[in-house]
Amino acid sequence: MSIQDNYLKNKKNIFFSENKDIQSHREKLINIFENNRFDKKNNESLKNINLKKFIDFKYRYLISEETSVINNNQENIYSIVSVNGQCSSFKDDKIEITKILDEDYNDFSKNNTIENNDHFVNLNSLFLNSGFKIVIKKNNNIKIKISNIITDDDLTIFQKNNYICEEGSSLNLIEEYENKNNSISNILNVIKLEKNSQLNHFLIQDNSPNHNLIITSHSSCKKDSTYTQKVYNFSEGYVRNFHYSELIEANSEADLQGIFFLKDNNTTNNKTFVKHLAEDCKSNQVYKGILNDRSKATYFSNTHVDQVAQKTEGYQLSKGILLSDNASYFSKPELKIYADDVKCSHGSTIGPIDENAIFYLRSRGMSKIAATKILISSFINEELSSIDNEQMSEIIQKKLVRYLSKVK
Amino acid sequence: MFLEIKDLSVKIENKNILKGLNLNINKGEVHAIMGPNGSGKSTLANVLAGKEDYEIINGRINFKENDLFDLNIEERAQEGMFLAFQYPVEIPGVNITPFLHSAINSKRKRMNEEEIDNLSFAKLLKSKASDLGINIDMLKRSVNTGFSGGEKKRYEILQMSILNPDLAILDETDSGLDIDALKIVTDGVNKLKTKDNSFLIITHYQKLLDYIKPDYVHVMVNGSIVKSGGSEIAAEIEKDGFQKFQ
Amino acid sequence: MNSETLDTLDTYSKNKYKYGFVTDIDDEKPKKGLNEDTIKFISLKKNEPEWMLNWRLKAYSKWKKMKEPKWANLSFPEIDYQDIYYYSAPIGFEKKPKDLSEVDPKLIETYNKLGIPLEEQKVLAGVAVDVVFDSVSVATTYKGELEKLGIIFCSIGEAIQKHPDLIKKYLGSVIPPGDHSFSALNSAVFTDGSFVYIPEGVKCPMELSTYFRINAENTGQFERTLIIADKGSYVSYLEGCTAPKRDDNQLHAANVELIALEDAEIKYSTVQNWYPGDENGKGGIYNFVTKRGLCAGKNSKISWTQVETGSAITWKYPSCILKGDNSIGEFYSVAITNNFQQADTGTKMTHIGKNTKSKIISKGISLGKSQNTYRGEVSFLRKADKARNYTQCDSLLVGNQCGAHTVPYIDSKNNTAVIEHEASTSKINEDQLYYCRQRGLSHEEAVSLIVNGFCKQVLQELPMEFAVEAQKLVSISLEGSVG
Repeated sequence: MSIQDNYLKNKKNIFFSENKDIQSHREKLINIFENNRFDKKNNESLKNINLKKFIDFKYRYLISEETSVINNNQENIYSIVSVNGQCSSFKDDKIEITKILDEDYNDFSKNNTIENNDHFVNLNSLFLNSGFKIVIKKNNNIKIKISNIITDDDLTIFQKNNYICEEGSSLNLIEEYENKNNSISNILNVIKLEKNSQLNHFLIQDNSPNHNLIITSHSSCKKDSTYTQKVYNFSEGYVRNFHYSELIEANSEADLQGIFFLKDNNTTNNKTFVKHLAEDCKSNQVYKGILNDRSKATYFSNTHVDQVAQKTEGYQLSKGILLSDNASYFSKPELKIYADDVKCSHGSTIGPIDENAIFYLRSRGMSKIAATKILISSFINEELSSIDNEQMSEIIQKKLVRYLSKVK
Repeated sequence: MFLEIKDLSVKIENKNILKGLNLNINKGEVHAIMGPNGSGKSTLANVLAGKEDYEIINGRINFKENDLFDLNIEERAQEGMFLAFQYPVEIPGVNITPFLHSAINSKRKRMNEEEIDNLSFAKLLKSKASDLGINIDMLKRSVNTGFSGGEKKRYEILQMSILNPDLAILDETDSGLDIDALKIVTDGVNKLKTKDNSFLIITHYQKLLDYIKPDYVHVMVNGSIVKSGGSEIAAEIEKDGFQKFQ
Repeated sequence: MNSETLDTLDTYSKNKYKYGFVTDIDDEKPKKGLNEDTIKFISLKKNEPEWMLNWRLKAYSKWKKMKEPKWANLSFPEIDYQDIYYYSAPIGFEKKPKDLSEVDPKLIETYNKLGIPLEEQKVLAGVAVDVVFDSVSVATTYKGELEKLGIIFCSIGEAIQKHPDLIKKYLGSVIPPGDHSFSALNSAVFTDGSFVYIPEGVKCPMELSTYFRINAENTGQFERTLIIADKGSYVSYLEGCTAPKRDDNQLHAANVELIALEDAEIKYSTVQNWYPGDENGKGGIYNFVTKRGLCAGKNSKISWTQVETGSAITWKYPSCILKGDNSIGEFYSVAITNNFQQADTGTKMTHIGKNTKSKIISKGISLGKSQNTYRGEVSFLRKADKARNYTQCDSLLVGNQCGAHTVPYIDSKNNTAVIEHEASTSKINEDQLYYCRQRGLSHEEAVSLIVNGFCKQVLQELPMEFAVEAQKLVSISLEGSVG
């Protein structure tokens, strides 16, 4: 079914469709799709994507009977189960969770500058059917774990979440995406860090082959705030991780990292983009991937330094290991720099596992497979050892072992 | 007076580093400044050389009848001031020989002396290098690039001997040197000493002063000189540390 | 930034272009504009065979359907292809003069002023020069000596007449006319350029050189160069270019094709110093150049070295197609932009054969209000077993109104191939400046020294005669005062 047909048929089920402004905005978006379609040739971020899946989908959404759970089981630790992208409201003195439907949408959408350039974000705006807003109140230090559950096959989730870390707050956020159904999740996270706040954001992605996850985030950092994002992608289905950060006030920091493990015919597309718009800011963009069988990956990274953003430090690294001669990796680490007092660099290496290292380990009596596995683990050792949460570290280790067991 | 520092107060990023410092150096004298970390020794060296990060809030410096603050970095160098850096910076791709050649000629130009030609310079460089036990191959390399700590310091002394300064400031030249390297470096300095030039040696340890005999030793603490005297002070510090001066 | 840096920058921006004079010489031009008649006029002037004219017309019909590539980080007003002269020749050049006594003395004087003497006795020892003035080749030196070795070094016009088999076989074989709009345009209207053929096993004993000069106003220069190195041969080729100062922008869209057969090596060096426009961004050459080399045979090697300091706009990606097993591609580049110059330059290394290797060293320096972009693509195709690439691109920013950008595309489809890429962007190091000045060098000298050091990895790849010139040019592009 075409995007337009989907829209016309399901219009009344989509959020905010009674709002005139939003309606006309959505009609504009439909026009963009009609005129521009998905131009694979001139839009490299669409490389390797099976577009048919995302253009000719059939819209279907269920408000689940199961209610979502918010649990404040220990002090400062919250467990949330989001069902089909929805979450019930909750409020205490540290945190406030509201449904996105309760928000003033105009307010909600104002800061969305990435729209129009990204068709998948446009699709999210067009079909929005779920989402929530979480506010961490001033000077609180809390942990949140969110499990994202989808209840049925063939659902199309278009979810938009808003995270606000108020001044001086600190949030540890772990999100799990482990879905077995044949469905599409298109999630947009809009994240705001107020002065002197901190967010450590972990995304653990481990979906089955039929599940498609498109996750986009747009974070902005005010003075002295730090946003750290770590993506662990073990999914056997398609995942798109596009993460944008804006450092809008001085002395803020964005750290966007990811590792992915691909096999069979799987594909992943990754992008990180940091805009330095103020002085004395730092950014890191580091992605590492392991590709087996016929898998394909792309990674685009971009450091943009505005003219006013003096004393910027920006670092990028992209690394890939190809385990099979049918795998392919495309990387484009871009620097766009308009200020002179900067230190920016990027490095990129793509290749097989170091043969000399394999030889060395085999000469010590290790089998070739064992040596390969050890070297893969060491390739991502830094990312694994930096997890300070024991429980999470264990989860990730297990997933790594599962992946390695398929390496031959 | 050859070098006269009067009531010098200097700050960097709103932090006062030098606080009313006084120091006089005459022609032919060797002065040593000793002090604990953070006392402002390196700041003094950099202020003398003209580094631009500092704000002079008070005082004056006369050098060979010039108001030093009227001269920029290169003019001071051309007037005969030389700073042997504590951490000489690497300049990749810039070959040592032409670098030093342009340096010596800019000095000669200012002094209205004839410029030295390629050939004579190469000769001069080679002989000075062999005096300091510097391998000729090192002269084919880029400035300080890939040098070990000891090589960098030796190379600073080589430059000093080529440029033949009136006032040489040695900023912690002994740091990071083993005893053999220290000997080579200090031998080089001693060879350069004449009755017409002066040395200001900045050091943390007394060790260096076993090899270069200073005429005066000053103790610097918290941005000013708290005690001056002969080499007996160095021995005192060696024994008791800086504690009692603080 | 301190005031001295600003002063230095100010001196730099008043860049004086010493090659900006105009030679007052009568020239012959067709009507302005591009149509079949223009192409027929060029072909007739060149006395070309019919197959060549048809080749041009075919390219023209392709061009008509094409649009300019838009992906570069450049902004400029639309080029009006109907407001350009496509051919300009000093009068009396229907036939190339046999020797210098037939050449207009004004022309000889022009080249003397440019430092390119045409009289053989004065020619730089060991460099054979082909000189192209607007649309025609005016002189080729050392021809006889080269002929003895079987080396063909002549203008492409002459090659079309005398060596049609080689032209038919190789022209457009590396850059198909339909590749993109500038290659189609060049294929349709190219006027002159150089042709080189090195026979099997011959190592060319001297540097071959072409010197390009745009003189006439509103004239585009569309030269075409074709170099073929047969099995086991070697050639080093140099290209230099200048143009007068003019207020209008002039279009330069050259095509250069290199073919290296088995065990052959081609070294191609360019010092591009087209008029860059004035300090307000007025005038200057639009330089849209396609350069591509094919390592066709086993163990062949193509090496590009470029020093790009001129042109208002530079759009240029000298590339290598590494088809033969064990073949090697190299790209060394220095690009300096000042005032309102814009450069989008880099390379493309396509690894097709086994064991192929490529190396990319790019140094970009931005000053004034200029924009400088490195854009490069390295791809390993499925069969490129054990292929390797090493890329290093560094950018230096001098002043806070310019931009430095790095856009690498890295595509690996082979799991035995290894690619390594490093890049950095920074401003000129204050500690290095302080150190140099403490030794008595002026601020301006220190900047020039440090920048030259920054470029050294590339400059040392140039042939001796050129390296010294290039170093001076680097300093001149920075300081603008010529000794």
